[in-house]
Amino acid sequence: MENLGQVHQLVVSLFGFNLVFNLEAILMTWIVFGFLLFFGILTTRKRDFVPQKFQIVGEMIVGQFYQLTEDALDREGAEKYGPMICSLFLFMLLSNWLGIIPHLEEPTKDLNTPLALGLMGFVVAHYAGIKSKGFKAYSREYFQPMFFMMPLNVIGEMAKIVSISFRLFGNIMGGSIIILVVSHLTYSLLLPPLLNAFFGLFVGTIQAFVFTMLTVVYISVQIK
Amino acid sequence: MDPVTLTKLAANVGAGLCIGFGAIGAAIGEGYTAAQANIAVSRNPRISGDLFKNMLVGQAVAESASIFALVIAILLLFVDTPGMGQIKAAALFGAGVSMGFGAIGSGLGSGFPGGQACLGIARQPAVGSRLTTNMLIGSAVSQTPAIFSMVVALMLMFMDFSIQPLQPTWAALIGAGLSTGLAAIGSGYGGGLAAGASCESIARQPKSAGQVTTTMLVGQAVAQTPSIFGLLVSFILMFKSFPAATNWSAPMALLSAGICMGFGGIGPGIGNGMTAEGAVRWVARNIEHAGDLMRIMLVGQAVAQSTAIYAMVVSLVLIFVI
Amino acid sequence: MAIEGVDLVKAAAFLGAGISMGLGAIGPGVGEGMVAAKACEAIGKNSKEAGLLTRTMLVGQAVSESTGIYSLVVALLLLFVV
Repeated sequence: MENLGQVHQLVVSLFGFNLVFNLEAILMTWIVFGFLLFFGILTTRKRDFVPQKFQIVGEMIVGQFYQLTEDALDREGAEKYGPMICSLFLFMLLSNWLGIIPHLEEPTKDLNTPLALGLMGFVVAHYAGIKSKGFKAYSREYFQPMFFMMPLNVIGEMAKIVSISFRLFGNIMGGSIIILVVSHLTYSLLLPPLLNAFFGLFVGTIQAFVFTMLTVVYISVQIK
Repeated sequence: MDPVTLTKLAANVGAGLCIGFGAIGAAIGEGYTAAQANIAVSRNPRISGDLFKNMLVGQAVAESASIFALVIAILLLFVDTPGMGQIKAAALFGAGVSMGFGAIGSGLGSGFPGGQACLGIARQPAVGSRLTTNMLIGSAVSQTPAIFSMVVALMLMFMDFSIQPLQPTWAALIGAGLSTGLAAIGSGYGGGLAAGASCESIARQPKSAGQVTTTMLVGQAVAQTPSIFGLLVSFILMFKSFPAATNWSAPMALLSAGICMGFGGIGPGIGNGMTAEGAVRWVARNIEHAGDLMRIMLVGQAVAQSTAIYAMVVSLVLIFVI
Repeated sequence: MAIEGVDLVKAAAFLGAGISMGLGAIGPGVGEGMVAAKACEAIGKNSKEAGLLTRTMLVGQAVSESTGIYSLVVALLLLFVV
């Protein structure tokens, strides 16, 4: 309880700058990568036209997200951005679920992970916007609807990154803090796993879905 | 006044404010649910058993924000938390204020999906289970701002602030509580409006259920942005170490930052919720243009959030520049 | 005595700035939200006019923003000029 804000960090001195690595988040992210690779290999081991067990699950998830992307972005958009959206969702889903396993904690609990994912989505959206509309039309958008609104529009775009990352971070870290405090205060065997199921599985799924949907929508707003 | 007395005083007042304010929202929300359930039963008495069950489930979810407030109040009264000194008094008071205000909006908001789900089941008993699921998802998501307030309250209670200088950190801690607590009011209420509209729309057009749920989730997520800004300002106020000050302007600046972001989050949260409500309602009636509707909803919500962004900018200026 | 007065005045100015921007953000938030809600309804009823409706909504929201901008200006004045 006392080490509520503590994080194991590795500080490396390089060219006079201090590089700080948050060890737990990095290790947990590698574990998530491992799970995703394992799941991917299992799903595509024997690709048959009539799907087998793991292939069905894989096709279901991928199909759903391609459908979602296609609804917002039309066919070519779905071809281009579908894989990224699908991997974003699977990564976040597994990251949020990792807390269920004892002694492991979610990589999204560290602010750096959601912030990185948010920045990635932001960069992809704006790059897509510039490529499809040209730089002039893209920069003219910032001066709509009144000329002096430019700084406010820029701040608004930055605020989008902040909101999307902090929403994921706040929900996941908040859930883990609540579980920690409740486990510290009660000696119940039933309550912490129930809370874990609610905050970890339910809230984690919804937040991963919302993050992905918002990224798709931001891309579609820029492309339009 | 010696620190121990001051701490106990602040804890007791904080606990009172916490459960006092926290009880308001959930009671009104549950009352709305029950009222709509009564109307529903009068329209379709044959399925009154299902309606009754649905009403109880909806009310239970709306209750959760007040239960959080009750838990925080009891913790404030009886649990001996780490840290000592007069600064702990400020932290405990901030915790009480945070959870107290934060529970109002979510409690009010979660009443809407419950009530609309009851009316919807009376109208269309066949989609009963879909409506109950949607009600649960919508209510749970609109409880998120109350969860943010509870997180801030727990952090204020259990983190040790005694190494920080008393002046101006006492104002920073109370400001942290106000910031998330007040900003959660609007977002909770707005999220609940969107969830209520989604339950009503699924009952009217059951085939549009998937699109409606998606639009509701996206709209609620954006409506929660002002409370996320409040959470951000709270975190900055809690974790930043301020140099010791002897004048009054430094603590007042920090307290004012908390007030600014707190009140600033109320209006945009409610407004964004109204936008999401309108969009969800019309996505169900005009499902081919769901994409256009979601786009206009997001644009409208983004512009309506601008005053929350102004408030956040003023708060950050107060913290970092002054 | 004079020094203490200046400090209290500054403290009050900061408090006033926060209250000004905080309470001032409530109204425009609710109002612009209502505008956007009705715009969604209008596009739902008549989706061919989406461009015109979007433009009307944005202009209406910009005008409703004005009192919010007044509070922002007063807040900034209180912070930096007074």
